[in-house]
Amino acid sequence: MNANPRALAMLLSGLIPAILLTAEAAPPPGRLLASQCAQCHGTNGRSVGDIDSLSGESAREIYEEMLEMKYSTNTNDIMHRQARGYSDAQIRLIADYYGSLNSGGGSGGGDDGEHDDD
Amino acid sequence: MNTISRRHFLKLAGAATALAATPTFLKAQNLSGRVVVVGGGFAGATLAKYLRLWGGGVAVTLVDANPAHISCILSNLVLSNSLNLSQITFNYESLKQLGVNFVQGRATGIEKPNNTTWRVQIAGRTPLDCEHVVLAPGIDFQPITGWVASQVPHAWEAGAQTTLLKQQLQAMPAGGLFIMTIPPKPYRCPPGPYERACVVADYLKRTKPGSKVIILDANPGIVAEAETFTKAFTQTHAGVIEYHPNVALLAVDSNQRIAKTNIGDFKADVLNVIAPQKAGGIVTSAGLTTDGRWAPVNPLNYESTIPGMSGIHIIGDSQGTGQPKSGHIANAEAKVCADAILRAFAGEAPDPAPMTNSACYSPITANTASWLTAVYAYNPATKTMDLVPASFGEAASPTKDNYEDMFDWAANLFADTFA
Repeated sequence: MNANPRALAMLLSGLIPAILLTAEAAPPPGRLLASQCAQCHGTNGRSVGDIDSLSGESAREIYEEMLEMKYSTNTNDIMHRQARGYSDAQIRLIADYYGSLNSGGGSGGGDDGEHDDD
Repeated sequence: MNTISRRHFLKLAGAATALAATPTFLKAQNLSGRVVVVGGGFAGATLAKYLRLWGGGVAVTLVDANPAHISCILSNLVLSNSLNLSQITFNYESLKQLGVNFVQGRATGIEKPNNTTWRVQIAGRTPLDCEHVVLAPGIDFQPITGWVASQVPHAWEAGAQTTLLKQQLQAMPAGGLFIMTIPPKPYRCPPGPYERACVVADYLKRTKPGSKVIILDANPGIVAEAETFTKAFTQTHAGVIEYHPNVALLAVDSNQRIAKTNIGDFKADVLNVIAPQKAGGIVTSAGLTTDGRWAPVNPLNYESTIPGMSGIHIIGDSQGTGQPKSGHIANAEAKVCADAILRAFAGEAPDPAPMTNSACYSPITANTASWLTAVYAYNPATKTMDLVPASFGEAASPTKDNYEDMFDWAANLFADTFA
């Protein structure tokens, strides 16, 4: 496994958000919740197929899209169902986690388009 | 069938071993410890991967009897010649690149040489010592009088069994009778048997006109996606599929391909016995079940709740939390378990509010599919993983779009697990 030089540079220059710098082994908030998106959206949000990547989206974009899907009336949308499984606060944690990966040098999928699940 | 998504999937499946995940940039500092994972399916492979991804210093050894895992997910499409087994076969090269030590061998038992160490015995090899053992051996089958799986396949573990059932279907004459038995729940992949009935019916309609599919279900009704499959059986595949609930399989004549049941004998041209299931062998032999079937665990960290077994975790189909047994949820459980083990190495308690989810697609014909989805949340009052009711639903109808989405879903699930 290779080190990520860009991430290392970000780390050394103090640009990584504070939530990722918690002491010792405390995992970043939202990491475990966010990992539950990866089955369909790819490890660390980097999708290998036509499903949207979450990597490259800002925390705000992910949060707003999730809430839009959660409170929509389209019951024939798999993401409507998934979003309804989480509280708004949990969605915030998930969005912040993916957003922090982007600002920390997560790569790929930066130009992903609109939600397109059906 | 030659659609973009389909091509994507085939390309991705072939390239899966090259898709090593980019490391997360912040390792859990100063963590060290040893974990031995038994079983390299969706649960075990995900666990090994995420332990390395999230916990840089932790030594992870993955033990599996086979050099590669063949996915049950999408394997029904091998029966209908839509996919080859090679397209759903995943080796452990990417996990090795992440620092996972892969040992091909058969784990035969677990010992506790001292208070802080577990020792996993491997047939013909040096035993492996560790602080945490994670067992993810999948399922075993309960015996049925007269049933010989080499003659009457279950094809509920993908590989040689899939090939055997496929060959039997190919050799079946037009106008033949395919009979399948469905075990009482819980079993691996709740919608899977009904999906198989649809895929086989569709295949037989195209290649063996006049053939029939008879489903003998031990359950009182369709276990998953009842609306979707009721419609599939009574409309899409009407006249081909015949569904019988509440049928107890009593014995099998493997030579004559006869299923002997409480409502009479059924003689098939091709007989598919999906036998009743229980936890994989090592879970049972290590004394980790209480009912002889599934392993009771704490869903915060998937640690055995049996006294004296702390440090042994069971994930995937063998665990007994009541979450559906599927590759997607096995992957979800593995992440919860990995996070909890890393916290334990750091002297911390597990995340008090873990979530898991399921999403799966089932082909209904050669170019349409349905989906089923659910989210599970930890309930601290009952200490169980409970379905979040608002999250539970199935597709309004099988569509071609869903069929394409199925390959995108599978490609990411496969990559998140094995690449």
